[in-house]
Amino acid sequence: MKTNRRAFTKTLMATTVGAATGLLSTGRLPGDGPDESVVVLARSRELIRVGHDIRRENAGRVLNEALKRITGKSSAALAWKHLFSPGERVGIKLSCLPGKPMSSSPGLVMSIAQGLISAGIQPDNIFIWERTDRELEQAGYKISRKGINVFGTDHLSNGGYSDRIEISRSVGTCFSRIVESVDVMISVPVLKDHDIAGVSIGLKNFYGAIHNPNKFHTHNCNPYVADLCAHPLIKNKLRLTVCDASRVQVHNGPAFYPKYARDYGGILVSTDPVALDYIGWQIIEKERKALKLKTLKASGREPLYLFSAMKLKLGQARESHIRLIEI
Amino acid sequence: MKDKRLSRRCFIKQGLVAGTLGPALMGRVMPVSSGSESRGNDNPERHIREARYYEKIGEKKIVCKLCPHECRIADLERGTCGVRENRNGTYYTMVYGNPCSVHVDPIEKKPIFHYYPATRAFSIATAGCNFVCRFCQNWEISQKRPEQVKTIDLYPADVIKAARRYDCHTVAHTYTEPVIFFEYMLDCAIQGHKQHIPNVMISNGYIQEKPIRELCQYLGAVKIDLKAFTDKFYREQCSGTLKPVLDCLLVLKDEGIWFEIVVLIIPTLNDSPQEIRQMTRWIVKELGADVPVHFSRYYPTFMLKNIPPTPPGLLDRAWKIARESGVQYAYVGNLLSDASNTYCHSCGKLLIERYGFNISLKGMNKNKCKYCGEKIPGVF
Repeated sequence: MKTNRRAFTKTLMATTVGAATGLLSTGRLPGDGPDESVVVLARSRELIRVGHDIRRENAGRVLNEALKRITGKSSAALAWKHLFSPGERVGIKLSCLPGKPMSSSPGLVMSIAQGLISAGIQPDNIFIWERTDRELEQAGYKISRKGINVFGTDHLSNGGYSDRIEISRSVGTCFSRIVESVDVMISVPVLKDHDIAGVSIGLKNFYGAIHNPNKFHTHNCNPYVADLCAHPLIKNKLRLTVCDASRVQVHNGPAFYPKYARDYGGILVSTDPVALDYIGWQIIEKERKALKLKTLKASGREPLYLFSAMKLKLGQARESHIRLIEI
Repeated sequence: MKDKRLSRRCFIKQGLVAGTLGPALMGRVMPVSSGSESRGNDNPERHIREARYYEKIGEKKIVCKLCPHECRIADLERGTCGVRENRNGTYYTMVYGNPCSVHVDPIEKKPIFHYYPATRAFSIATAGCNFVCRFCQNWEISQKRPEQVKTIDLYPADVIKAARRYDCHTVAHTYTEPVIFFEYMLDCAIQGHKQHIPNVMISNGYIQEKPIRELCQYLGAVKIDLKAFTDKFYREQCSGTLKPVLDCLLVLKDEGIWFEIVVLIIPTLNDSPQEIRQMTRWIVKELGADVPVHFSRYYPTFMLKNIPPTPPGLLDRAWKIARESGVQYAYVGNLLSDASNTYCHSCGKLLIERYGFNISLKGMNKNKCKYCGEKIPGVF
């Protein structure tokens, strides 16, 4: 069948609009794609930590609702299936530096694992991980290599990092072999202030995926966070960010500092890691204002790496281009 | 300078010589598998000591005062060196008595040429460095954290004992960046000082004034890598700055300790005649004409693989410029060359012949030239 120019143009336009709509509905911003990203902020009394953890059922219920909004699907099962496919090996990168009071809560993390299983992912293809076994244990996790895997990079032989130097713009590093071995990743940070970076949320969580994070803290971690996350091992594998905002470290992070920690009772969810971090930053600013603390900009640590990340097309850091859905 | 560019036959012959003699001189590697090997994090607590140079600034934060980076570090975080950690507002070194590399080397390998030549140095290093040199030959230990490398327990008293056991005249803190294992090096140096096993530091010179002055009370000699003579190079290639290194050299001069300088010549990055001239003139003017300057050959590695090895001609040129600037003892390293020999600055006769790590002090009479009686700078 021959196509004339008009028909060809029509088809092309339809395809483009269709593709754009499809991408928009998942909140993604790959390359020059759609101009708006979606972030869901779910808040509930049920997400307040009790004994440093959130109840798994509560977390699961809220998370499923958030994912339905993100994907535009009618059910949680369809939402999970929309994002993840059976057979994929999924790495869930936690943030456990500060110990139990301020780490990715097990209740939330296990509800994510449950969602993956509902999408047909085999439990032994789920890898819940951090830098070290010790950090995971101190955050309340039990190291396991049966069923759902839970272990640190250092659990693997020879320290767990690749011998190969990967270079991504200003960053030269060896990645955790867990990053190399999984097909997709979910970042599960906590919402916290960072004394140098400004905020440490979803993107900076990947400092825990490399062997030499200490080398990338100058200039408020800018552009290092962005450059690291622009590496294909992260850029192409990171599919979802679920930020544990049940408790927020408003100031003096990244360690737990009770004086400046607030029970916020929230989670943030997005497929755009930059947009999620941007919204997280604004929440921290709001909470700082309530405590009469200076803004991060006035403190000399505005997280400019988010704008560097946007320039690298990792996501959206313009408020006007982020659709925040509050539930 | 006569360059020994070799035929294939000569090259093979030299390779055979090196292969035969190398193990005798250099192959004394203390097996890391003997006894107390660990992968650092098995029990890191036993290698933790409170750091010596830092300030508490409230709210559990500290500022490190060891090197010019002056890392500001929140609770549970580490400095750029990766081996110092803030725990609840107190700053700790994590590598005390925990080297990842232990070898017996000829001291010429450091290179140090005017400090007990033709002796052995018991050489140790822990993980970590305060620079990120894109051309680092030892990045697999210098750019790692202590828990990411294999280590052994070797506390200062054991270091001195091992140096004696392996017939080493000195202990060399080398391979990575000794500044970052300051407390360990200092205690080794203090013990060595008492027991007549001098310690030498092979460093990038990126250290604050107080700690380097303290070290100078106990060290025997220092070798500083002067990576270039532009701040641009330091910032772009090393994640550092030039001025603190020059300041460190001035302190070494002021302290009167023996020191030598090494410059790794990297084509197109730090090899311009103007830069070498400025550098060597500064050295002669500020430090003295008797400070040995070694120009070393670079090889592609780590993050700098797109530049080929330094052509010998560039090293020849740097050597000539240094001599023109007044440097009495300029050397060429990392390749075979007559410019690795020591010639008397007074009469020009051959004093020390070096062929790889084969050293012959044929023209020396203790610390003097045996031909003209001139005192040769250094410690012999």
